[in-house]
Amino acid sequence: MAMQKDLKNQGKVSRRAVLAGMAGAALTGAIASRGFVGSASAQGSYKLDLGGYAGPELSSEPVTLRFMRQDFTPDVNALLESAYAEFKAAYPNISIVEEKVPYGDLQKKLLVYIASGDAPDIMMGRTDFTDAYHAGSVALPVQDYLSADYINDIPANLRAAASSGGNLYSVPWETSVMMLYFNRDLFEKVKMQTPPEVTGLDGGWSDEELVANLIEMNAKLKEAGDNQSWALAAAGQGNGGPGANYSQLESIWIRSQGDPNAAKDSAAYKTLMGISDDGFTVSGHIDTPEAIKGMRFYQSLFAKGLTPLGPVPNQYPGGLAATYFGGLNFTNRFRVPGKEPPFKWGVSLPPKGNIVFNGNGSDAPLVWSKSQHPAEAVALLSYLCNDKNRLAFHKTWGSMPSRTSLREQMSVFTTEQPFKMAQALSDASYSVPRSPGYFDYFNAMNPAVKDIALGADPAKVLPDTAAKIDRLLAKYRR
Amino acid sequence: MRPTTAPARKKRQWTGQNSNMILGPAMILPAVVALALFQYLPLITAVLNSLQSFSPFDQSSTGWVGLGNYFEIFADPAFRYALLNTFLYIVLMLVMTIPLALALAVLLDRRLPGTTWARNAAIGALAASEAVTALIWNQMYEPSSGLFNAILHAVSLPTQPFLTGDSQALVSIVVMTVWKDVGLPLLIFLAGLQAIPRELHEAAQLDGANDWQIFRKITLPQLRPSLVVALFIMTITATRMFTPILIMTQGGPQGATTNLALYSYLQGFEFQSQGTASASVVCMLAVLGIVTLVQSYVLREKQEK
Repeated sequence: MAMQKDLKNQGKVSRRAVLAGMAGAALTGAIASRGFVGSASAQGSYKLDLGGYAGPELSSEPVTLRFMRQDFTPDVNALLESAYAEFKAAYPNISIVEEKVPYGDLQKKLLVYIASGDAPDIMMGRTDFTDAYHAGSVALPVQDYLSADYINDIPANLRAAASSGGNLYSVPWETSVMMLYFNRDLFEKVKMQTPPEVTGLDGGWSDEELVANLIEMNAKLKEAGDNQSWALAAAGQGNGGPGANYSQLESIWIRSQGDPNAAKDSAAYKTLMGISDDGFTVSGHIDTPEAIKGMRFYQSLFAKGLTPLGPVPNQYPGGLAATYFGGLNFTNRFRVPGKEPPFKWGVSLPPKGNIVFNGNGSDAPLVWSKSQHPAEAVALLSYLCNDKNRLAFHKTWGSMPSRTSLREQMSVFTTEQPFKMAQALSDASYSVPRSPGYFDYFNAMNPAVKDIALGADPAKVLPDTAAKIDRLLAKYRR
Repeated sequence: MRPTTAPARKKRQWTGQNSNMILGPAMILPAVVALALFQYLPLITAVLNSLQSFSPFDQSSTGWVGLGNYFEIFADPAFRYALLNTFLYIVLMLVMTIPLALALAVLLDRRLPGTTWARNAAIGALAASEAVTALIWNQMYEPSSGLFNAILHAVSLPTQPFLTGDSQALVSIVVMTVWKDVGLPLLIFLAGLQAIPRELHEAAQLDGANDWQIFRKITLPQLRPSLVVALFIMTITATRMFTPILIMTQGGPQGATTNLALYSYLQGFEFQSQGTASASVVCMLAVLGIVTLVQSYVLREKQEK
């Protein structure tokens, strides 16, 4: 119940948070009972701050560690490179070879590497695919090498998302929150009330209110002779535009129609979960009346001309849209002196269906299960995830920390509205539907969402897609 | 004294026969090895893979499944749709490219003003990267800010869902591909036209034939070999069309632009199913083989008449 205690200390205990806490506590219990957690006594004897690493002392033999990750911005890349230099100075026998790949290709590349039998020691994965990493013996269970304190510092729901079968398969690198940004100047221009700037999960717009306000915004912009600005900017996630990233963005419209407190066999509960308990059936989960209702709201954004049908880069930061769904990185980016957007901005909750939904699928590096240097690989990963390196990363990249103590060290999480709201969203967030075949699920849902945006009937597309995903997941039963 | 004659030394003469036994095979060995490695081995592997199932995690074979993968893809409505679309791409590409290339070649052969510029433009489009071309056309087709809809809007015509409407997307991709690839059959036809003896046209003109009659009775029959080559090449191009579809529509909307090449890619790389991906590739090769055989048969029959 340690996680419940943590949550109570933060004064934000909801029913969902308690459930997530129980799941996390159960996982911690399972890990501890199996004696997996590394000995905390080993900490402090290393040549530099290896964060939560509690495994054996590192080898003194020559070791080369390969790390595959996405390419960040030059300033973030520079941070990582300086961290490698520091690590190399402490452990001159350990060399680090990086491979940077485009973000969208990371998971495909990871699977190709696994198939080749010659994968990098550390690869940037996602918590979305934790069950696949487990079922395919892709990743090394890392709790053997980490201290209990470090593991418990990861919020319970995020820890659960990175774990499968009682093992922790990756180290969450950050966490995802999706918020509704708005352009205060455009709202003032058309004399409309801005979305509520709340700090918790209550008080935001509902689906109906969002669509109604965007329709009004659209009409008033046109009345004012502004034919360039849109009520809602095109999605910037993934490849941009509709069907950009179901895990982080479009699933909001479906899963927010669900109900975590409904009976387990009810459509409302199944809509929230998005998949059966065994992880192999989505029919009856993504094609429920609730899911169809959610996608009709989503479709109306396009049908009513409130948002572009295709990708439009930098539409919101360029001041050409009244609202936008984005992560905490926009808040951080907009706060940097000299990098402020050309308008006054604010941030509100994503639209509420039955609940306010946030998916916490996020980047999470893993160590290849067949790495020849597992201890050194986990040590490097833990070093990159120590407080100093993580705080520098989050300050530069702008994403949300994946550990409670890091958030506590960043005062903005207790003083500023966007951060407080992001924290509340993160605490109540859900993992992606749990399945070893989530990669297939995700790749089938994205085009379905796009088809709905382009006008296809959700009542036909969702059942067809559910049947398709069921077929695709069948191979994971074998 | 009888003159003594030195016994005639038996000279070994170069007949070419002995050396051919070694030199001949040696000359073709690199080509045979390359073909075996890069053509036949992948083909055989694809056929063998289409009869097995694979782990979706590490792609290792999990056993033989006979024709199971074929039954699986034929039960998938998306595959049947992709099969139909593949034929549609072939037909549309041939119908649009061949007459256009022929017309352009005839015009260019007349050496009108601007001929050099037009020929360079066609070759330039052909030389352009397929991915870059698709990205540029994607922008031009864009529903809200694309060039084509801006033009339609400017002349008060309704804007069109070029890539987002299920009845227009496939045609829009074909139009882009025709623009890009018309240069190849054009060059083939141009070479064919320039090989036709001028005397044939002059004789026909002296006999009073008009331009259309000369084209039908002399130019077109003389271009038959070029036409056969152009048809084969464009059939192959249409069958294996992939990059523009992936970039412009990702196979959508609702599978309206998915062909067998994209379907195979999706099975292999998006849905971790190497067995069904290989089965789909084998079907694609079968389609290509059937179409090519039909073309060969039809064109050969005409030649015999």
